[in-house]
Amino acid sequence: MEVMKYMKKKLILFSSLVVLSGCAAGSSQPSSNEDVKDQSWDSIKEKAEGETVSLYMWGGDDGINQYIDDWVKPQLLDAYGVRLERIPLDTNEILQKLETEKRAGQDDGTIDMIWMNGENFKRAKESDLLFGPFVEQLPNYNAYYDADSLDFKYDFGTETEGYEAPWGKVQFVFHYDSAKISEPPATLEELQQWTEDNPGKFTYPAAGDFTGDAFLRHVLYGTTSAETLFTEPFSMELADKESAGVWSYLKDIEPNLWRKGDTYPSSLTELDRLYSQGEVWMTMGYNEARGEVLVKDGVFPESTKSFVLEEPGSIGNTHFLSIPYNSPNKEAALTAIDLLLSPEAQLAKLEPDYWGENTPIDVSKLEEEDRQAFEAVDRGDTVLDQESLMDAFVPEIDAEYVPWLQEKWIDEVASQ
Amino acid sequence: MKWRPNNKILYPLIPALLFLLFVLYSLVMSFVESVRGPDGWTFEYYRSLFEEKRLYASISYSFFVTFISVSLSLLIGWGIVRSCHSFIEKSVGKWMVWIPMLFPHFVWGYFVLLLLGQSGIVSSALFQLGWLESREDFPILVQDRSGFGIIITYLWKEIPFVLLMLLPVYAQLPKQYGEVIQVLGGSRRHVFSTIEWPWVKPVLVEVLLILTVFIFTAYEVPALLGSSYPQMTAVLAYDWFYGISWDERSYAFALLFLIALVMGLLSLVSFILLNRKRWLISKSQHQR
Repeated sequence: MEVMKYMKKKLILFSSLVVLSGCAAGSSQPSSNEDVKDQSWDSIKEKAEGETVSLYMWGGDDGINQYIDDWVKPQLLDAYGVRLERIPLDTNEILQKLETEKRAGQDDGTIDMIWMNGENFKRAKESDLLFGPFVEQLPNYNAYYDADSLDFKYDFGTETEGYEAPWGKVQFVFHYDSAKISEPPATLEELQQWTEDNPGKFTYPAAGDFTGDAFLRHVLYGTTSAETLFTEPFSMELADKESAGVWSYLKDIEPNLWRKGDTYPSSLTELDRLYSQGEVWMTMGYNEARGEVLVKDGVFPESTKSFVLEEPGSIGNTHFLSIPYNSPNKEAALTAIDLLLSPEAQLAKLEPDYWGENTPIDVSKLEEEDRQAFEAVDRGDTVLDQESLMDAFVPEIDAEYVPWLQEKWIDEVASQ
Repeated sequence: MKWRPNNKILYPLIPALLFLLFVLYSLVMSFVESVRGPDGWTFEYYRSLFEEKRLYASISYSFFVTFISVSLSLLIGWGIVRSCHSFIEKSVGKWMVWIPMLFPHFVWGYFVLLLLGQSGIVSSALFQLGWLESREDFPILVQDRSGFGIIITYLWKEIPFVLLMLLPVYAQLPKQYGEVIQVLGGSRRHVFSTIEWPWVKPVLVEVLLILTVFIFTAYEVPALLGSSYPQMTAVLAYDWFYGISWDERSYAFALLFLIALVMGLLSLVSFILLNRKRWLISKSQHQR
């Protein structure tokens, strides 16, 4: 899988140059944004039938990929006669591709749906790369989602304004091998103590990786007052002033990390590989349930369990689906997103067989039968109970911290 | 009528010219991208590029890895050809040289990762045999800051390349000239400087250029086997190009454009110097 990823990266680097020359084959004329917005759901369904839509999404988790390939694809074909193609790509790369298409004036694009949130959404929205607002056209969104929820109205502090539809809800957890660790750390200080007691057995993905960035935000939470992170808007001065603790913490733990911090895993996949081979004893991820399927597939040891840091807490967020401004099949994309938001799809997503991820659906709006089905789901032994997760929950901070932390991490930690 | 012979030469050249046009177009476009700011043309990206500490770390690291890889490949490859080219021309030797040539760089890089990683094949085998107390005792050979893993991979891939480039030269060396020199009382050094060196030098320089340009800017091997810092130029450019911060995309274009410029000039100068040599050699071959 690693190999494929690198091959793909190379291909993309080359193909983006090709795209720059603007020589993409044109297919059917895409509907203009206004056309789609005024249509009734029935006529959208009619236009969608027989089309193929492409869903560009991060592909580093086998459980998620299986959910799309094995559950969503046949359901979508069955319900709307729409074929779905899943294209695995890191989210920044998807946006770069979209940006390249925009610069080349390619109004008939190649991407129909993007899975994104946070800093990526902010960039995409600010650069007018998205189609919308569209969420209020989706029957399932109107029926089962709480449109007033702050979780959907804001994405890392950016107003969504109907340009992305909530798809899932996750919280950041650490996974550990309970055969090797009896009592996992509960605070950042305890984590530091643990690395001193067990040198070389902990590391985190390098900044720039989605999970690595999220780990850095936890350290930021733990070393600054949460108050300032929320009340003050992002500014360089504030960030510089507040962040001294982040870098001193990271530098303090560095000598006791895997490889003494000389290098960091370049991606979460790489960290998972180290964990599965026993080189490190902990891994982490922005999905409280992702361990379940990895244990079942034999990637993680049977004794894998998860924990959250009670101090500073566990960051959680909602992630979304959006449609590019130049999607060639907007109607079909709308039907696909509606299906992904449906109670059936959300239930299948919550079950530990594939993804095991929490749902943004408002369970109280469901039919009695569906509600019971949601409540009856056993998420598995590696998933913490809802109460511990809720207790530790802290929201995301301003999206602008993300690139800033990445830059500073290179200067302050990696290059030292 | 006079056009005919010219056209005949031109037709087979069309694919090559179209390809060159493509390369030229991407070069021009990457330059344009590197000077296009939000409010018009600007050299701001070049200015701030040179303020990046990462850039200097990356360039000196790339230079180090390239220098070691290229010079060792050339020295070892040349040494092998000189001492045993008759063996390599036979089937067994030929196969040994050919096998690494058959795999793409990133496959070979992945192979090295699986072979020499701390939880890799060699370390596991030594551990099983009881020669290592734990797998962590195995030295860190890949994803290390010194670039050892990258250099090993390049040596493994490039030495065979040097061999294959040099073999035909040694097969065609006019041996009778050596005899003439010996009969006339010349030393071995004379044989080397008047026969071997002039024949080998153009090929060596050519291989040196190919390897330098390739290794300095190749992505897959350092991406697989490098460490988080310092990064080789291609990895850095990739990070910039696909990073969250969109300004940095212009850094990537600026960096790669500068490298292309320097490498292009280097090649041009070498070709001009070498072509004179080439011409002399071909002339002497005609006289033969």
